[in-house]
Amino acid sequence: MEYGLKPLGREKLWLWLMLVPTIIGLLFGTIGSLLATLTLSFFDWDLIGSPTWAGISNYDALFKNESYMEAFSNTLKFSAMYVPGVVIISLLLAVLLNRKIRGVGIFRTIYFLPTVTSAVATALVWNMIYGRDTGILNFMLESVGMSPICWLCTNNAMLSVVIVNVWGAIGEGMIIFLAGLTAIPRDYYKAAELDGASGFQQFLRVTIPLVTPSIFFQTLIAAINAFQAYDYIYMLTRRSGGDSSVPVAVFSIYRNAFHFFRMGDASAQAIQLAVLVALFMGVMFWWERRYVVYE
Amino acid sequence: MKNRIATILILVLIAALLLSACGSSKPTSSGPVEITFMMWGAPEEQTVWQAVVDDFQAANPNIKVNVEVSDWDSYWTKLNTLFAGGTPPDVFAMDAPLYLDWQSRGALLNLQPYIDANPGFLDGFYPQTLMAYKLDDGYYGLPRDFQTITLFYNKDMFDAAGMAYPTADWTYDDLLSASKQLTLDKDNDGKTDQYGLWTDTWDMELFWSELIWANGGEIISPDHTKTLIAEGGARDAWTYIDTLYKEGIMPTPATAGEYGGDLFQSGQAAMTTIGHWAVPGYVASNINFGVAPMPKGPKGAATSVNSAGFVISKDSKNHDAAFAFIKFALSEAGQKRLAELGFAIPVLKSVAESDAYLKQPGDLDQQVFLDSLAFAHMKPVFKGYEEWAGVVGDGLIPVWDGEADLNTALDAVVPSADEILANNK
Repeated sequence: MEYGLKPLGREKLWLWLMLVPTIIGLLFGTIGSLLATLTLSFFDWDLIGSPTWAGISNYDALFKNESYMEAFSNTLKFSAMYVPGVVIISLLLAVLLNRKIRGVGIFRTIYFLPTVTSAVATALVWNMIYGRDTGILNFMLESVGMSPICWLCTNNAMLSVVIVNVWGAIGEGMIIFLAGLTAIPRDYYKAAELDGASGFQQFLRVTIPLVTPSIFFQTLIAAINAFQAYDYIYMLTRRSGGDSSVPVAVFSIYRNAFHFFRMGDASAQAIQLAVLVALFMGVMFWWERRYVVYE
Repeated sequence: MKNRIATILILVLIAALLLSACGSSKPTSSGPVEITFMMWGAPEEQTVWQAVVDDFQAANPNIKVNVEVSDWDSYWTKLNTLFAGGTPPDVFAMDAPLYLDWQSRGALLNLQPYIDANPGFLDGFYPQTLMAYKLDDGYYGLPRDFQTITLFYNKDMFDAAGMAYPTADWTYDDLLSASKQLTLDKDNDGKTDQYGLWTDTWDMELFWSELIWANGGEIISPDHTKTLIAEGGARDAWTYIDTLYKEGIMPTPATAGEYGGDLFQSGQAAMTTIGHWAVPGYVASNINFGVAPMPKGPKGAATSVNSAGFVISKDSKNHDAAFAFIKFALSEAGQKRLAELGFAIPVLKSVAESDAYLKQPGDLDQQVFLDSLAFAHMKPVFKGYEEWAGVVGDGLIPVWDGEADLNTALDAVVPSADEILANNK
């Protein structure tokens, strides 16, 4: 299948000319640093001396490195909660807000607000919500006679952090699903209604299959964000020494590279994370071919 | 085909343009030498350092110094990036515990030849401050100021409770009982409004190293292979800290975080243990405070001394100019300027014991910080310090937050900490 017109003659030259900045950015920025990371992962380098060949020892060390394995499993746990959370909640939200009700614009804006608010500011607000002594959440718990919970202590920090991240991401997800929902022709619902389908059945048999492209896209975006999640997590869980009580893989990569001077280890960790993301994408694209319905 | 060739030509041209733009090096002028001095610090520190630099430039018109100040976190990231890019600053500030990490990577210039060329240069220094930088083949850095940890107390809170201020004879038992008395729930809502004590127990410097030493314990073996924080007297020190948290005398890390960290500065804690760097902040927050030496433990008095220093990049092209600047900053004139800053204590005995340091504005007894040197232990300097400190600090936070048992956590922390020491041999 081909779309659009083919550029001809001089047009082609201009086309390339226009593409050059992006291509250079891709070559040097993205592909270049990817190759550099891949290369560095086979070397030991402390950022000052010259890199020395390390073979696969950095990869070997990955699995023996307790703190990295903890960070890596935190990333997996985080993703396992975050991705379904974002996809399901933002889909439901979009369905709710895809009606002609009074003030729907206000609600859409409210849910979208976190997306455009700085992460530092929102993390501050959430710190006030989660506070053990002064937090709003514990105040509510105590006023109904429950005992306060230390939301950001080591045991609960993961869950608390997932909640904030999901809350911050549903606005964007909602917009994508709203776009997908608007594209569904009303006729389908009319037809389903004539056949006597209930609202829930319509949702299950009409809406869901027809928004699968959005679900696919949103899952992909959410998964990529989950593997890279860092800002809210760090700001909610940072400790005095610059450490975090929920260290995630990205955090570990940064610490190893720029605090512990182990570029090789950090690169190996980055490559491992990249491979994992690539595998996940592979599964997603297989799923897309199998289940996603394009009209 | 023609088009493809044109395209490739354009690509090559643009790439060449870009590369030449990146590759253009600084013009080599025969004029004055320019050096860069990078440090961490607050904006007001930049003002004082600029004054030091101005004095220096007036005396050395052929050297120009660019001062770059960053906050602590971005400072180290920036420094690493500059080193990785092959353009390190000529002179930069060093925190003593991290010194070996940098020295062992071959980043630093051995200053011994310069020191030898300036006989008597180090004579006026407090010897305790030089120790951290002295290696077998000489000094790869020099201290610029130092910090001893002392006990700060809020006079208003002691007065309100009708209690006598802490003295040099205080023991940790006195600290505990006074802290208990000063922990108040003023409005009887079941929540503490005033804590007896607040300090940081994540890093060793503010409290736990002093306590371990006062209990006769040690932190790390002299050859830097074994973590000793769970042995002998050291364990008693941890039990003491555990009591402070369990009895609610000291806010847990989670609670302290809610109040912005320093509860002494926010007027919610009656005492703290911290260094001289905190003084300007406490003065600015209108805290009516005094200082006393750290309390005594079963094995006598102990406190911690740490220093910030200067180092020169080995790859700097202006070693002579860089050392000239360090030499000036460590001269009486330079150190007097630093004393005005009020953050730290000059390393030159003659300046620290002069009015420049002792007669700073306010009625704070500056002598306490100097006298503490008599029983101060050097904050340990070893490779892998940051990672080690993280494992120990993080490993114990669940204990302080009431989520884990102290002895179990200690027994788990030590092997992990030792493994880091082994990896950083």
